[in-house]
Amino acid sequence: MAEITPQVSTGQESIPFWRDGRVLGVLAQIAFLAAVIIATGWILNNVLQNMDKLGAFRCADGSSSFVCGFNFLRIDAQFDIGETTIISYDPSDAFSRAILVGALNTIRVAVFGIILATILGTLAGIARLSSNWLISNIAKWYVDLMRNTPLLLQLFFLYFGVILLLPPIREAVQPFGLPIYMSQRGIDLPWPVFMSSARLWIGFVVLAIFLTWILWVVLGRREIQLGKSTNRTGWAFLTFLLVAVVGWFVATATSGNNQVVLAANTVSAADLAGLESVMQQRLGVNDLASVSQAVSDGTLTQEAVDTAAFTVCTLRDDRSEVNLTAQLRKLNMPYSVKAFNRENLVSEAFAAGDCDLYIANKETLAAAQTAVSGATLIPIGETPVRFSIPSLQGLNFTGGYKLTPNFAAILVGLVLYTGAFIAEIVRAGIQSVAKGQSEAARALGLSEGQRLRLVVLPQALRVIIPPLTSQYLNLVKNSSLAIAVGFPDLWTTSFITLNQSGQSVQVFIIVMASYLSFSLLISFLLNWYNQRISLVER
Amino acid sequence: MTQAKTEEPKSFGHNEEIIVCRNVRKWYGDFEALKAVSLTVKQGEVVVILGPSGSGKSTFIRCINRLEEHQEGDIVVDGIPLTHDVRNIAEIRREVGMVFQQFNLFPHLTVLENITLAPIHVRKWAREKAEERAMHWLGRVGIPEQANKYPGQLSGGQQQRVAIARTLTMEPNILLFDEPTSALDPEMIKEVLDVMRDLAQTGYTILAVTHEMGFARTVADRIIFMDAGQIVEENTPENFFTNPENERTRLFLNQILHH
Amino acid sequence: MTTIGQNSNMRTFRGREVHFNARQFVQENITRRWWLTLWLIILVYLTGVVTWNQLAAAPVTTALLFVLWAVTLTLTAVNEMTRHHNSTTQWLRNNLYSSLTNALITLLLVLLIVAGLRGFFAWAITHASFTTDPEAAAVILEKFTPPGANWGAVIDNMRNLLVFRWPRGEDWRLWFILIWSVVLVIPSQFIFRREAFRKSLIRRVLTGLWVLTPILSFLLLRGVGGAESLIPEVNPDQAWGGFLLTLVIAIFAIVASFPLGVLLALGRRSQIRGVPGWFTYGAAGLLTAVALFTSTFPGLSSAPTTAGKVLAFWPVLIPLVAYLFQRFFKGNVVALFSTIYIETIRGVPFITVLFMSIILFPIFLPPGTEVLSTWRVMVAAALFAAAYLAENVRGGLQSLNKGQYEAADAIGLNTFQKYRFIILPQALRAVIPAIVGQFIGLFKDTTLIAIVGLVEFLGVANLITAQPDWLGVRREPYVFIAIIYFVGSAVMAGYSRRLEAQLGVGQR
Ligand SMILES: Nc1ncnc2c1ncn2[C@@H]1O[C@H](COP(=O)(O)OP(=O)(O)OP(=O)(O)O)[C@@H](O)[C@H]1O
Ligand SMILES: [Mg+2]
Repeated sequence: MAEITPQVSTGQESIPFWRDGRVLGVLAQIAFLAAVIIATGWILNNVLQNMDKLGAFRCADGSSSFVCGFNFLRIDAQFDIGETTIISYDPSDAFSRAILVGALNTIRVAVFGIILATILGTLAGIARLSSNWLISNIAKWYVDLMRNTPLLLQLFFLYFGVILLLPPIREAVQPFGLPIYMSQRGIDLPWPVFMSSARLWIGFVVLAIFLTWILWVVLGRREIQLGKSTNRTGWAFLTFLLVAVVGWFVATATSGNNQVVLAANTVSAADLAGLESVMQQRLGVNDLASVSQAVSDGTLTQEAVDTAAFTVCTLRDDRSEVNLTAQLRKLNMPYSVKAFNRENLVSEAFAAGDCDLYIANKETLAAAQTAVSGATLIPIGETPVRFSIPSLQGLNFTGGYKLTPNFAAILVGLVLYTGAFIAEIVRAGIQSVAKGQSEAARALGLSEGQRLRLVVLPQALRVIIPPLTSQYLNLVKNSSLAIAVGFPDLWTTSFITLNQSGQSVQVFIIVMASYLSFSLLISFLLNWYNQRISLVER
Repeated sequence: MTQAKTEEPKSFGHNEEIIVCRNVRKWYGDFEALKAVSLTVKQGEVVVILGPSGSGKSTFIRCINRLEEHQEGDIVVDGIPLTHDVRNIAEIRREVGMVFQQFNLFPHLTVLENITLAPIHVRKWAREKAEERAMHWLGRVGIPEQANKYPGQLSGGQQQRVAIARTLTMEPNILLFDEPTSALDPEMIKEVLDVMRDLAQTGYTILAVTHEMGFARTVADRIIFMDAGQIVEENTPENFFTNPENERTRLFLNQILHH
Repeated sequence: MTTIGQNSNMRTFRGREVHFNARQFVQENITRRWWLTLWLIILVYLTGVVTWNQLAAAPVTTALLFVLWAVTLTLTAVNEMTRHHNSTTQWLRNNLYSSLTNALITLLLVLLIVAGLRGFFAWAITHASFTTDPEAAAVILEKFTPPGANWGAVIDNMRNLLVFRWPRGEDWRLWFILIWSVVLVIPSQFIFRREAFRKSLIRRVLTGLWVLTPILSFLLLRGVGGAESLIPEVNPDQAWGGFLLTLVIAIFAIVASFPLGVLLALGRRSQIRGVPGWFTYGAAGLLTAVALFTSTFPGLSSAPTTAGKVLAFWPVLIPLVAYLFQRFFKGNVVALFSTIYIETIRGVPFITVLFMSIILFPIFLPPGTEVLSTWRVMVAAALFAAAYLAENVRGGLQSLNKGQYEAADAIGLNTFQKYRFIILPQALRAVIPAIVGQFIGLFKDTTLIAIVGLVEFLGVANLITAQPDWLGVRREPYVFIAIIYFVGSAVMAGYSRRLEAQLGVGQR
């Protein structure tokens, strides 16, 4: 036993540094840092050498700099992109715009995909727990099949094995007789279009939400006062419906006949009823509703109907066209739409007598009226929302919302795949809420709805949100497989940019940074939400 | 310190100061958990630390084998100053054994492997010797038949006795106990206290945090009372329980004894 | 149900009391909620339509199914009312006919499933062609509209799908690896499970053989020496393909990612005393100053736009980064870099990493260095897998009680020993199921290398459609591959579940 000297110095100053825990820690850090720096330095050096050979980081004045490496983004891209979201694109636009278009496409896939996959996954997750053996097993098979086969295989199968093998566009499949058309050229769906009076209506809807909320709170107070339950949900629902419906009619009425259609001199009508009688004359019938019957009876030929149909000239994707055709359809008037890409082409066609009706905004039409003799302006009404229905015009559908085969493949593929993973998460989340909790809620006399809303859901959500976040992230990352089905997403356009410009390092930096920021954004949002609900919970 | 170990620790004399703490201070962030704690423990002494929850008892004894790092003051264990010197820390840990409230056995190793792991890899004993010593100590704590089971297959009292055997096989001079019986059912507490009493009589230097007043009264040489990170009272068991000097101690004893 | 009157409460049927309350039945099954009534109407309509359509399409089967449904439903209902279930009707009552809606849904689903299965079997078997002679296949398929599957394409290309261009004479090497693995797997099932073998020699030998397996497999797959050698060297870019390549890459990635993944996990969690604050801030200040002088001031004068002038102030970010580093990583550089690596890799799609390996990898190396595509892709897959593995391992480390670390410290183990004997064995064991799950994921993700131009399993399928003999045949190879993946994943998942249960028992 060594001599104990209580006065022994603590020896702080006498420790050799190679035995001092603090120094060792810092030394290890520095050694590690040095290793990292040497490795990255070596790679960077190689990159610079290689890039120098390719002249990638060369500035216009001959010097080299990292920033100049990105100058290529301003060069014309000179490749076409099949579809765009929000912003337009032309091959004469710059590379940067091409990448931006791709990024927006990725966002479109991600947003639609996340929404639809969540819906599908929730349904499938609940179906997994169904008391019906068949339902729960179908859901189980769906989940297993999706989870145990590669996504890329599913995408290939969907694209090459299903969508591209659909019938050609003239024989488009119409599931359940709905106005949904599925063909080799994609899927065409009806789509709501907001008219200018929609603003007023949306105001009413907001008001309705507000009133409903107030009613909900007030009734809740009253319930506490009275000590018995009133039918809160019913009343709230009714109020909402009432205000929204009233708003609809108000919006429709106040808009009056604020849209007009220009009719050629071949069509002499003062209002919609006039148009109707013109068509009745053309077809020689008294009731337009009987036309389809007459065609199938054979008393009237389809060609006769087609020739009699009003030709409507319009700018492509014009909202007023949707409004007009919806009303023509309602009155059973046959029509065909000629859509043009530019305003002057439409007025030229109208002046040349190619169309019976010309639809656009008031000012344009007023101008066009003066140019064509005998043309009359017919006022027509509008409702806040009109449905645009796809219709076959020549070799393509116009109207509605078009999912290209590529977009349909990547979207449907991602939704089916991610939905299966979400289903498992939802199932686990619901099952994680102990049975006792539900029983306790029932014992307290909560209704089924209250039980779900107040007891099961908050607890299940706490379990569900974190894995759900990572599924959303996976969906965004997996959307890069769009390249396999030819959908021009961020990665696809970047890859083409890379091939065209040869600026690989820069393009990879842009792509990686973009995906990283998508990922960070999603995890940030969901973390925030998660924190909020766990706070509420406490 | 390198003399050959026999079964029991060395001398019985109560004169060598084996643990010396001077003005030990420790902060957790802004919170001062230990406020200038000074304590000297002699060879073979049994010291029991009492105090209300959160008073810094665990923090203090965990500083002694560097499970926590103190920021000011000196700690010298068996003549070795506890500094940032990694060699000193390793040496002190070899001299000091610790028994935890939650046993902290390694669930993936059998009882025997739990016990022999450190002797083989730290003390560099041959496996045979380690196993022989392990069986010896398992016998001492009364469960030699459990050697090849896994911790998960033992009762709480048995697990704690294995933990004690694991500590003892390393042949430490000093034993630290941090509430070794708090996680146990009443009937198992006795098994463990008996072992501890036996060890105290054998001559180990023991520093124990425990709420077992009977043990403190009969076995301890000295009782330390801590409150709010300070040693409030230091006394013999008789005086401590019958005639405490400090008001705070009296309050504490009232609460504990007349509950 | 004829014996049951309108509102009979207590009648008898074959000597048993009948419990049936019509009002209650209607209330519970139809009028309880308005939406229930609506749902029921829709369901009746749908079921009617589907039954009608199916009756037209396949009268006999549909009629049979309908009768079967009606009979079992009646039996169940009668047994329910007489409170006298046998095990079958009890099951039917609980799982298929628990309510009126469920009974209808059952009929609807049975009809739809049977229709779907009939369609699938017609395509896959009865209307399909199995001949490997393309002309004969065309003749067979012409007889049916729509034509069934052309399985001949898959059978004809089986070798391509499995090993693609692996030299025919060298097949024995593959067989050797296969048999070797099977021979090892069988005793392993036994020896690694039994406590009795825990310390035995045979277990060590077996472990040694397992460790040897990847090396041996690689030697055989790659070969050594020229043409005269027993196992002549092959060029992986050409000779490896199909399912073989998929397996090689997936297995290599998971094995090779293991050490790196564990290190990254340890690094991210490391508690090493960090670089002191003064050092970080000092270095950051110095760097900022240097950058300000070399980049900002010249940039300010030369930048043409305001945006450029603002951009020139980028060095002010350096102190910010330094602050964040001290705040969140407490000066721990190892944790910082591990975290950056893990999160970056996990934040980007696998496909970009793969393309990076193909396009950027050569740029990262000294000019003139050539590396085979296969190696690059393998390295990329391993580096990618390491980030995910690290997170799994970190989960395992986190699941460990703090007391384990403390006990290891208290008994005097040093850091290495602590991790080697106490922490890692427990942490890794806890995450074996997660690692198996990750391997399944990797096994599936390996298909992505088809996009970067290596011909793996799915890549071969895409080639088949371009063969003159089998022009346009797409679905059949896809279905074949899907089956292989499905079975493979299911087997591994089952294994993982069993393992999980076992480990749970061992851990208690
Ligand atoms: N890791 C830590 N971080 C922050 N504060 C801590 C930490 N560990 C302990 N403390 C605080 O230090 C104080 C002393 O804790 P300690 O565990 O030593 O109390 P104790 O006397 O052992 O109490 P008990 O009888 O409940 O075990 C407590 O107030 C505690 O909150
Ligand atoms: Mg304590």
